[in-house]
Amino acid sequence: MEFFQRTLDGLLEAGPYALVGLGLTLGFGMLRRVNLAYGAGAMLGAYTGSWLHVRMDWPIWAVLPAVIVTTALTGLYVQWLCFGETDRTSGSVQRASPAVSGADAREVVALAASFAVWMQLEQLCVNWIPQHLKRFPDVAATQEWTFGPLGLRPDRLLLSAIAIGLVLAVHHWMQHSRTGLAMRATAVHPLAADLSGMPVAKVQRWGFVLACGLSGVAACGVLALEGQVTPMFGMWMLMKGLTVAMIGGLGSVRGVLFGAICLGVLEAHAQAAWGAIGRDAAAWGLLLLALLIRQRSSATSTTGSVYA
Amino acid sequence: MLEIRELACAYGKIEALRDVSLSARAGDVTCLLGPNGAGKTTLMMTLAGILQPTRGTITFEGESLLGLSPAQIVDRGLALVPENRLVFPALSVRENLMAGAYRRKDRAAIAGDIEQQLDRFPRLRERIDQLAGTLSGGEQQMLALARALMSRPRLLLMDEPSVGLAPKVVAEIFGIVRQLHAQGISIFLVEQNVHMALKVAQHFFLLQQGRVTFSGTPGELAADDVIHRAYLAGSERKPESDTANV
Amino acid sequence: MRDALCVSEPGVGLVIQMMVLSMIALSAWLVLRVGRISLGQQAYFGIGGYAAALLTTLGQWPLELALLAASLMGMGSAVLLSWPLLRLPGLHFAVATLALAELVRLGLSGLHFQVPGPQGVPLGPDGVDGFRDIRWLFDHGVSQVDYMLWAGAALALSVLGLMLLSRTRLGLSLLAVGHDETLAESQGLPVNQLRMLAIALAGGLAALAGGLYAHQQTYLEPALFDPMLGIHAVGYSMLGGLATPLGPLLGAMFDLGLLEATRWFEGWRMVLFGTLVAAFLRWRPRGLLDEHTIYHLGRFRPHFSTTLKDSQ
Repeated sequence: MEFFQRTLDGLLEAGPYALVGLGLTLGFGMLRRVNLAYGAGAMLGAYTGSWLHVRMDWPIWAVLPAVIVTTALTGLYVQWLCFGETDRTSGSVQRASPAVSGADAREVVALAASFAVWMQLEQLCVNWIPQHLKRFPDVAATQEWTFGPLGLRPDRLLLSAIAIGLVLAVHHWMQHSRTGLAMRATAVHPLAADLSGMPVAKVQRWGFVLACGLSGVAACGVLALEGQVTPMFGMWMLMKGLTVAMIGGLGSVRGVLFGAICLGVLEAHAQAAWGAIGRDAAAWGLLLLALLIRQRSSATSTTGSVYA
Repeated sequence: MLEIRELACAYGKIEALRDVSLSARAGDVTCLLGPNGAGKTTLMMTLAGILQPTRGTITFEGESLLGLSPAQIVDRGLALVPENRLVFPALSVRENLMAGAYRRKDRAAIAGDIEQQLDRFPRLRERIDQLAGTLSGGEQQMLALARALMSRPRLLLMDEPSVGLAPKVVAEIFGIVRQLHAQGISIFLVEQNVHMALKVAQHFFLLQQGRVTFSGTPGELAADDVIHRAYLAGSERKPESDTANV
Repeated sequence: MRDALCVSEPGVGLVIQMMVLSMIALSAWLVLRVGRISLGQQAYFGIGGYAAALLTTLGQWPLELALLAASLMGMGSAVLLSWPLLRLPGLHFAVATLALAELVRLGLSGLHFQVPGPQGVPLGPDGVDGFRDIRWLFDHGVSQVDYMLWAGAALALSVLGLMLLSRTRLGLSLLAVGHDETLAESQGLPVNQLRMLAIALAGGLAALAGGLYAHQQTYLEPALFDPMLGIHAVGYSMLGGLATPLGPLLGAMFDLGLLEATRWFEGWRMVLFGTLVAAFLRWRPRGLLDEHTIYHLGRFRPHFSTTLKDSQ
């Protein structure tokens, strides 16, 4: 019975994990870049929310949009500084790969630039609010629902439902709207998209900003249930986001659901068996496994398509 | 309809086009011939707005195309069927067609146009929901052509549509080119396959090392040994049959 | 997450820290030279530090031997851990090194192995609290200045060794792999093995750095080898320049020396440093001392063709 309870807990964790992974995978799908500043951007948004809540007494319905706007703006900054090189020119004119070699050289260099931004944002946050614990508007449930021997928290259930709904909604939008088509086309083949008249640079930029805004949504969801922000939040977002996105396939929107479930359930069991360290180790181990298994399929499709 | 004067285009320090002057008449199929490396694709990419020229002018129906973005060029009525097709491999055939119609404001008519393209290319209709990456070379070429047509261009630019395709498929493609011409669409065609081009084009230009070295009708082209000189690069041998693949 | 190793002490302590940081930067540089980004060199730093400390405290080994053994351990673990990663494309490789390093850190966080020490104080790694009382330097009366000269010698030897290596055919092969692996492979170079070699050497260097640091600070804790350390190491190389082993040294000296020590940029060091790295990646991707600059400085005359002048 413990097993089922843990699995249930893990499944409920999958909801927020899916949200966290959604932004990262979409960002990769749009721009073929793994944004290492993903967590730091979300943290900046979270700190903003906390500050507005604590210092300016903003209510929760004002704080949450502020968080999302902050993360979206951070995305704009990251895109400008690190990912500005959109390679839309004809394939026959190849610029020499700058720092690293290989088929995905540009992706790797952009990754490097994003960790530089990670550094920046991390320090900015620490300078701004040095205390360890910062309060965040809290909507956690106080009671647990029970179904026979199993218990679950209704707030987590609601968040999971919202997460699944949002993921599916984003997927639907990507598949059926004109803008979604432009985003997918630009991700698959920027040059062909250019020739079809799509505004490639704009689509890439705003698609990425959208992805970062989604990280703000994820942050809101997670923190509203926690009631506080810690300096570890950035790394946490990045790690979970990377794992979920990698398992589901970088760029796959629906894949984050699969990845989130894997991660959530695994962590729940690992924590029960080996404590907090075991849980984190299991998560990193899962990411490693996902990388090793996925490498063959992803190597051919590092064109960063956003797909089902 | 299309006037290009003294166009020059460079990749960094490498001049791909030096001094290109040519014109295409409305309603005609105009063909640009030239060996590899002559600059044909560069010219097409410049016309499509992907590359910016360093010198010269491009005028379409009296208006300059210089400095316009690819999207604006599509708005003006030009569409490119690029070399190597460049379909969206992870999108379905239908989505590829819809992508071609991206700039169109009359959304309602797009569905009708898709039907029209599917009528024209029945093989695409069979594969309408298939991913474009799984199509054969010839089918991808048709898809690229249909996609370009979705924007209802007045001038269709085609960059080497026959490359890499089997002769039967090439014949099909050129049959469609003839059809389009009959329907009043002007076409600016870049080709290496002289044989097929002679069958459809009304006027020929020859591009060599970034310059236009010949301009004339099919008859003049067939009579002149300029092709042999261009493609066989000053070889002393007696030229082989003019259907030899160059 | 903390600020790399910037617990800066004035004078000699700072210089030693600069050397340690330079060494980790060198190890990241080595991996960059073969065309991969490793965000996980901090793992070998930790492994080396713990290994050396264990040998000197519990095993009573002399420092030199302990450091040597630690380097070998670093090399060995680098080979072991990186072997499955070799076939990953660059992006996956970078993320995988991050994951691995965190796994190592978590592993060391769970390591409890204590024995009672001579003064009744327990010795040995104690999980999250780390490894304390690494007192070899004090027990043997080695002054900070002596240690600095010592560490400096180790660093200088490493740099010299790498410079000499880059002149040999092996060094050129490594460089070829770094610039264009497809081309290198088509010319018959064993790309994977060459990469492995570079990664092993890098692991050894990082481990040496860890050992040196552990003995200077007299304690070591897992929180020290977090991703920021590895990221700084890569950042130093990218800033200082990829063309020469002096590049990462320049980067490390710039960061610790100018930014931290002068206190001009109190509390804004990482912001500035991050800005510089990002800017360089965009506009000068091979760092300050890039191939172009080195060629013109005339100190190193590469014998291969000028195809190294990457157009920017």
